[in-house]
Amino acid sequence: MKVIDIRNVHKVYDETKIAVRAVDGVTLNFAEAEFAAIVGPSGSGKTTLLNLIGGLDIPTSGDIFIDGTNLSKLKSSELIDFRLNNIGFVFQSYNLIPVLTAKENVEFIMSLQKWPKVERDKRTMELLAAIGLNDRVNSRPSQMSGGQQQRVAVARALASRPKFVLADEPTANLDSKSAATLLEIMEKLNHEEKITFIFSTHDARVVKMAHRVITLEDGKVVSDEVRE
Amino acid sequence: MHEVMIWSISWKNVWRNKIRSLVVIIAVTLGIICGVLLVAIMEGWTEQRLHDAIYNEVSHIQIHNADYLKNEEILLTVKDTSQMIRSIEQIPGLNGWVKRTRMIAMANTPWANTGIIIYGIDPEKEKKITEIYKKIVPGGGEYLNKQKSGNILIGDKTAELLKLKQYIVTQEVLDKLKAENIPDDIILILGKLKDTRFRSPKEFREALKSELNTKELNTYGNKILENALDYRIKNKVQITLSDISGNPVQGTFRVGGIYKTTNGGFDQAAVFVNSIELEDLYGGSTVLVHEIAVLLNDIENVDSVKEKLTGISTGNTISTWKELAPDAAMMNDYMIMYYFLFIGIVLFALAFGIINTMMMTILERTKELGMLMAIGMNRRRVFSMIMLETIFLTMVGAVAGMLSGWLIVEALGKSGIHFSSWGEGFEAIGFAARVYPVITPSFFLIIIVMVVFTAVVSSVWPARKALKLIPVEALRTE
Repeated sequence: MKVIDIRNVHKVYDETKIAVRAVDGVTLNFAEAEFAAIVGPSGSGKTTLLNLIGGLDIPTSGDIFIDGTNLSKLKSSELIDFRLNNIGFVFQSYNLIPVLTAKENVEFIMSLQKWPKVERDKRTMELLAAIGLNDRVNSRPSQMSGGQQQRVAVARALASRPKFVLADEPTANLDSKSAATLLEIMEKLNHEEKITFIFSTHDARVVKMAHRVITLEDGKVVSDEVRE
Repeated sequence: MHEVMIWSISWKNVWRNKIRSLVVIIAVTLGIICGVLLVAIMEGWTEQRLHDAIYNEVSHIQIHNADYLKNEEILLTVKDTSQMIRSIEQIPGLNGWVKRTRMIAMANTPWANTGIIIYGIDPEKEKKITEIYKKIVPGGGEYLNKQKSGNILIGDKTAELLKLKQYIVTQEVLDKLKAENIPDDIILILGKLKDTRFRSPKEFREALKSELNTKELNTYGNKILENALDYRIKNKVQITLSDISGNPVQGTFRVGGIYKTTNGGFDQAAVFVNSIELEDLYGGSTVLVHEIAVLLNDIENVDSVKEKLTGISTGNTISTWKELAPDAAMMNDYMIMYYFLFIGIVLFALAFGIINTMMMTILERTKELGMLMAIGMNRRRVFSMIMLETIFLTMVGAVAGMLSGWLIVEALGKSGIHFSSWGEGFEAIGFAARVYPVITPSFFLIIIVMVVFTAVVSSVWPARKALKLIPVEALRTE
């Protein structure tokens, strides 16, 4: 079953001056519980493609359907709600809310979605246990290492059981040990929660663990390899 | 319940940059303290002026012959006095009433003269309506008694004008000053003025000025003036007025007492004698009633009582305290406007600091706001978060300011603030030189409403700035 259906999507910046084709006629789709990596050299359009899939940016042409909803047809306010209810984000520089504890960061999206407190607490503790941080429940981001912060960011992205998680260079700021731990956790959660993971990366370790590897060059898909 | 998280984030965000937040909080605190103090002083003065106007000067209601108010002639007395008094006595919630003779006169002593309004009163009845009997100054004799004593009660200011308020440094005064820890060198200097009589405060102050330096004068001047003050009690005062035939007549009274209210203008004009003794002077067979003063239990009933008395009275004018003391009425009526004005000015100035701080906050947190919008925090919630942050920031300062202001007002409310340098000026327009600041709970309610309003208004610009952020661009900022 297709969760994401990308149809001939283009994204062109500065169309009136020197046009930069960041994404150039990409057609892709992703099924439920995929663990896919988008790779390619710098400037190949990885982050732009993730932003388009995540509804953070609008395609110049083409359509992106998420579970049958065409993102291009949504108004700005509808897009925010759509992101809240359907997409989890993991950013390169963690981007946790600095004034909240690990637990509060994880439950933040559930709180925006108005989950009952009991369910919210249960889900938060489950996820913190799954990422191995149940002893850092009350730690603030400034009291945690980069690897720990990124694990909390993954838990936050998964908390409300979105349709898929987009991770932009999730291991770029991590040392090899932290990166390996994070990848193991992501793969485990992908398997257990049946949530699609799509991440852009340069990191060979990430590519190695991915079940599907899509290579972009100059905004075009040059290969799409599915591994068994 | 679900919005609790937004409240929590907003509150915690206030304390992210403690120094910057504290600067704003301290500014708001100081602003509110100033506002509270200023309003408490105004409120203290208003209450004092209202109380003194009613209980020393005009009561709640006064009745005069309608023509007397235009032309204060001796025969223009209150019409149908007995009927009026019967009607007054039937007023529900009546505290008391008095009738007075009221005449324009001239007072003379061997050293000076001044124009006065002489009231013929029943001293005992008057005690139920006015508090003049409580205002006798130390060393200023006593209130009038029932008997025909030939005494006159005059104001401190009248005493000064008639040169009955004198200053003399006797050995007894020097001993008293020594006992009050005035330094020996000052006592020695004051010895030069010993037994010299000064016939006005001005003369005595000038003499002191020539002997003492400014610092000594500022430190000990008031104490020396208080101790050296010598009212010439029992001194004769000659009163000249028109008798019932319109001919000038003269009578002599002895100063029995000197009173001092907070209204120098009233003290300068109003003197009191026993109504029967005044009748002996202007002649005729009965005590003339030019004025009936009525005191009610509840000031709120004044208008309805006026209406009732006006309905049954012909040829008389019924005046309320608002008409008789319009200055006090105006202050009382416009107090709420002063509240808004003072606090409004303070908050208007502070709003710029609050906006500046919140704008800096938004600029610093661009990436974080971009992330929040990316993961699904909608515009309403972003706006609420920034607005709440501004309200919290401002309210912390406001609460600290209100609490500190209240404590200061409580402390000053006991001792009062003495505006000694401007005392004479204040008293000339009916305000006490010593004011007892008071603050009412309703004022704090007004502050809270105005602070929240200021915070909401101040948050609009920074919040709009935040709402204009495009998440994908905001996320790229460092």
